[in-house]
Amino acid sequence: MTGIVCASALERMMDYLEGAVAADLRSALEAHFASCERCTAFVASYRETPRILREATEVELPPERALAMRAFLRARRD
Amino acid sequence: MDVPEAAAPGDEALAARAAAGDEPAFEELVTRYQARVFRLARRLTGSDDDAADVLQETFLQVYRGLPGFRGESRFGTWLYRVATNAALMQRRARARRPAESLEAFLPRFDAAGIHAATPAELQVAARVDQLIDQRALAEKAWAGIERLPDAYREAFVLRDLEEMTTDEVARVLDLQPAAVRQRVHRARLMLRGYLSDLVGVKP
Repeated sequence: MTGIVCASALERMMDYLEGAVAADLRSALEAHFASCERCTAFVASYRETPRILREATEVELPPERALAMRAFLRARRD
Repeated sequence: MDVPEAAAPGDEALAARAAAGDEPAFEELVTRYQARVFRLARRLTGSDDDAADVLQETFLQVYRGLPGFRGESRFGTWLYRVATNAALMQRRARARRPAESLEAFLPRFDAAGIHAATPAELQVAARVDQLIDQRALAEKAWAGIERLPDAYREAFVLRDLEEMTTDEVARVLDLQPAAVRQRVHRARLMLRGYLSDLVGVKP
């Protein structure tokens, strides 16, 4: 398969990363990525985006919120 | 003779006991999942108060729904579905200003379909967390997630922030896996460009 450019490669990026593309498309995408410096840079940032946002939004349940929830549930179960 | 320590009962076994009126079994399910439900709700609603309300509502609905939970799906899948829907209801109950779209942060291409940005510009989002202060990044991260369309936010939060598999997210949201990938992909593109913009680089 030919005709892959950055824009069409990008459309299938997540499908590709999750192994959800057919073998011929996979080969075409890998050929494009191997020869495209821009897509290589793009993929790096695309892959890191979830991690950066996950780490930046890590939260813990405050103990007082947990206690309030238990009290709320008890009041409605009795 | 050593008596092997009993393994902790599975979620489904606890759910069956809780459905039959075993209160400690229900308490154990709450203990097991409360932190995860709160974190999910916090990420979906963007607010501590809303997340606390969603946490309460979720476990109340689970408690009331347990007798009808027949184990046709995993307990966790059902719980996340209840929590995700409760978060959406909570968002709708709050008067919110329409969020400014993230469309402007999507990648740009030239007429031939080649990335308009340089490799250095395209790569910068990968190290935003090394380039700006952690506190500022956290504030911007919450704001960015808030700006996603609801359908993208749900899929992205479950898949990429809660780190569920695409198939699990599909079961929670009652979507085909391909539809989940489409939504998560769009969210990643928008947020990736948004991160670039935080350090002054066009996506």
